[in-house]
Amino acid sequence: MSVKRVDGALMAGMLKNGLACLKASEEKINILNVFPVADGDTGTNMRLTLENGLNVAKPVKELGPYLQSVSTGMLYGARGNSGVILSQLMNGFAQELARVPSADTGEVKRSLIRAYQMAYNSVIRPVEGTILTVAREGIEHIRSQVTRRTTIDQLLSMYLAEMRKTLAYTPELLAELKEAGVVDSGGLGYITIVEGMLKYLNGEVLTGAGEEIEQKAPQPSVDLSLFNEHSSFIDGYCMEFILQLLLDPAYDQDFRLPSFIKKLEARGNSIVAVQDNRRVKVHIHTKIPSAVMALAQKYGEFITFKLDNMQVQHNEHTRAVKSVKKHVPLQVITVADGDGMRELFSGAGAGDILDGGASMNTSAQEFVSAFKAADADRYLVLPNNKNITLAARQAAALSLGKKVTVLPTRSMVEGYFALAMDVPDSEDIDYRVRQMELGAENVVTLSVAKSAKDTTYHGMLVRAGDWLSFIDDEPASAAGSRIEALIAGLAAVPDIRDRETCILFRGVDTDEAEEAELEERIGKLYPDLELSFIYGGQSVYGWLVGLS
Amino acid sequence: MKNFAIICDATCDLGEELRKEYDIKVVAGHVKLPDGSEKKAMPGWNDFTKEEFYTALKAAPNSFTTSPANVAEFSEAFEATVREGLDVLCMTISSGISGAFGFASEAAAEIAKKYPEAKIVCVDSLRFGPGFGLMAIRASELRAGGKSLSETADWLETNKNRYHQAGWLDDLSFVAKKGRLTHAKAFFGTLAGVKPIGEFDYNGLTTVIGKVKGAKTAYATLLDYIEKTGEDLTNQTVFIAQTNRQKEAEEYKRLIEEKFHPKAVIIKDVYPLCAINIGPGLMAAYYAGKPISKDLSAERKILEDFAAGGKRQ
Repeated sequence: MSVKRVDGALMAGMLKNGLACLKASEEKINILNVFPVADGDTGTNMRLTLENGLNVAKPVKELGPYLQSVSTGMLYGARGNSGVILSQLMNGFAQELARVPSADTGEVKRSLIRAYQMAYNSVIRPVEGTILTVAREGIEHIRSQVTRRTTIDQLLSMYLAEMRKTLAYTPELLAELKEAGVVDSGGLGYITIVEGMLKYLNGEVLTGAGEEIEQKAPQPSVDLSLFNEHSSFIDGYCMEFILQLLLDPAYDQDFRLPSFIKKLEARGNSIVAVQDNRRVKVHIHTKIPSAVMALAQKYGEFITFKLDNMQVQHNEHTRAVKSVKKHVPLQVITVADGDGMRELFSGAGAGDILDGGASMNTSAQEFVSAFKAADADRYLVLPNNKNITLAARQAAALSLGKKVTVLPTRSMVEGYFALAMDVPDSEDIDYRVRQMELGAENVVTLSVAKSAKDTTYHGMLVRAGDWLSFIDDEPASAAGSRIEALIAGLAAVPDIRDRETCILFRGVDTDEAEEAELEERIGKLYPDLELSFIYGGQSVYGWLVGLS
Repeated sequence: MKNFAIICDATCDLGEELRKEYDIKVVAGHVKLPDGSEKKAMPGWNDFTKEEFYTALKAAPNSFTTSPANVAEFSEAFEATVREGLDVLCMTISSGISGAFGFASEAAAEIAKKYPEAKIVCVDSLRFGPGFGLMAIRASELRAGGKSLSETADWLETNKNRYHQAGWLDDLSFVAKKGRLTHAKAFFGTLAGVKPIGEFDYNGLTTVIGKVKGAKTAYATLLDYIEKTGEDLTNQTVFIAQTNRQKEAEEYKRLIEEKFHPKAVIIKDVYPLCAINIGPGLMAAYYAGKPISKDLSAERKILEDFAAGGKRQ
């Protein structure tokens, strides 16, 4: 197939195929994660990012506007470092093509160059041997070979071949890949997407690519207590259904939409009814759903059916209008995993605590919403994970007019120390931010988790099920038990004798007996260390230890 | 010149020995115990041992309450003194914290009517606890040095804003709850690993002017703070007050003696009447020095500069 121009509709098909291709390889890409502990996964983060872009994109024929809408969706939906970089690749790609209804090969080439440049610029310290190198060399190595006669599918085919070459030697560029014996997972993810796009041009449509993309956006939870025995029922129900008209003679075969709508009008209002062959989609507000159902069931049966009490929604709305946002000088937004950590952060003065979950892969959109949700002069983000910092910065860049500072805390431990050093009663916001910076400084985070696989990591031979300790994300020790891994990890902290404070945050599957044992052993080993134990409830790390 | 007595309310927190040494009289306050009973309270361990008290306080911080002496009690104390032929210098806890100054002034007016020849001057110390006590000791020293009642009262009025508190409060929840801390806007519970540094504000309320990580940094920060805010320390008595922090207080005393060579450094307990409002975890030095700025901005800056300097090293 030789494709000379690509427009919005074709690009939509290509990207959906790319997503389908990525989905099929998602697990394979996740496994490439060099970090031996099961947390934030590259494949999943990239998939969620692209999926969000395609979910919100408007299907238009013009390439420029279509890519713009995909790009915006991806920028907001970006999760994890690989997701942020992917969104920036798309951002550059879309910017280059912003004004064109369709693009030829030369334009696509230029946009692939712009894509990697944008991605490099978005990272403070670009690391070679990653998705960045793959995207850069992929196009730079072939740009001179692209001629007037090159078609878009040929271009993508050459691009892919070069990217695969680069991917193969990423272990030479990045020692940790070599040691783990893997190639870069983000690079592979990107290649997988481009593969899917090329396959589409070659007529190979992957399963799932044509389907509606699953809406993953969480439904806002409704406060059911708003409709109770004292409520009055004025607004009725909002009813939506798809009706399948049936040929069975038990059903009335004489279905005509205009007369059906007339009958609906006798039973409710705000009616929308459309017929697509033998299916009818209906939206109606009614106080007597049974009457509408009985009418519909004369002609067929429901494929989908949804009924909401609008009074509840109305009350929610009224409440939302009533609850005027309280103005705060500084809104501190942080990310936590674990009920104990959430409570601790909330008590220590965090204004908003985003749920990081076990994978700690909060999206840019979640931060943007958090900025919108608060009325503040300034916003301070404590991302508490290396993988979230980029998404937080991206969110800050997307939130024009909001003054956002990202204090790149690498762990919940650093986040705790930052919050604990805040002086909320000071009116000097700069001072408060500086205090929190001081808090996060010179803190060592020791974490203990179980290895999810057999691997060699930073010179340590690790078996699945071993307990590993990490000092600020660098592996420190491996042992057969959690306690031993922690004790060995402490001993590996270079200046442990100079440390004064040791706070141990207990994970959700760690018990108090373990706490008592640790208190005794650490107390004996380091009598000058001031020990505190706090329940954190975090999931992956049985113990998170802060040394200051 | 007629002699005068110094009468303080019980929140000056001076134990029996210091009261005797400096000839300071104290009007008892009131403490309500968890069992509902009320007791008159003088500074000291009269009804409980220190250990019993702190265990009980930790278990039920909200079940203890305090109240100042009432007008009648101040009147009684003034009258007894006046009848001994003495004038009265009455010093009270900061009016920003308690109503004692009002009660004492009312009592003073009453007694002055009854004994027109008597002179009773009330001074709002704008402090409480050890800061107030230290000021009372200074008044006594001035009296011993021959100053009159008016001269002493004038000196107090001019200099009361020079009394500092430099220390930390491990558990701010007590102070915040009892309103002895300004702007308790957010969480002030126990902050593991972090020491909130407290200073008196203009009204004598303890205010957090900064926080530091760990005791070592806290000592270094506090010594720097005392150096920059203290004046003429070699001729001063310095108090170190502590609630259940004897070990740290001794270390702090050693460091202060080594660096500033004050006339004396006295580690003192915080007795129930004050401790109920401070809780366990106070460890602070009290001394006189430069006037405290209205919004504490100068004082915050000292801590901030020190922290910034520490970073550069």
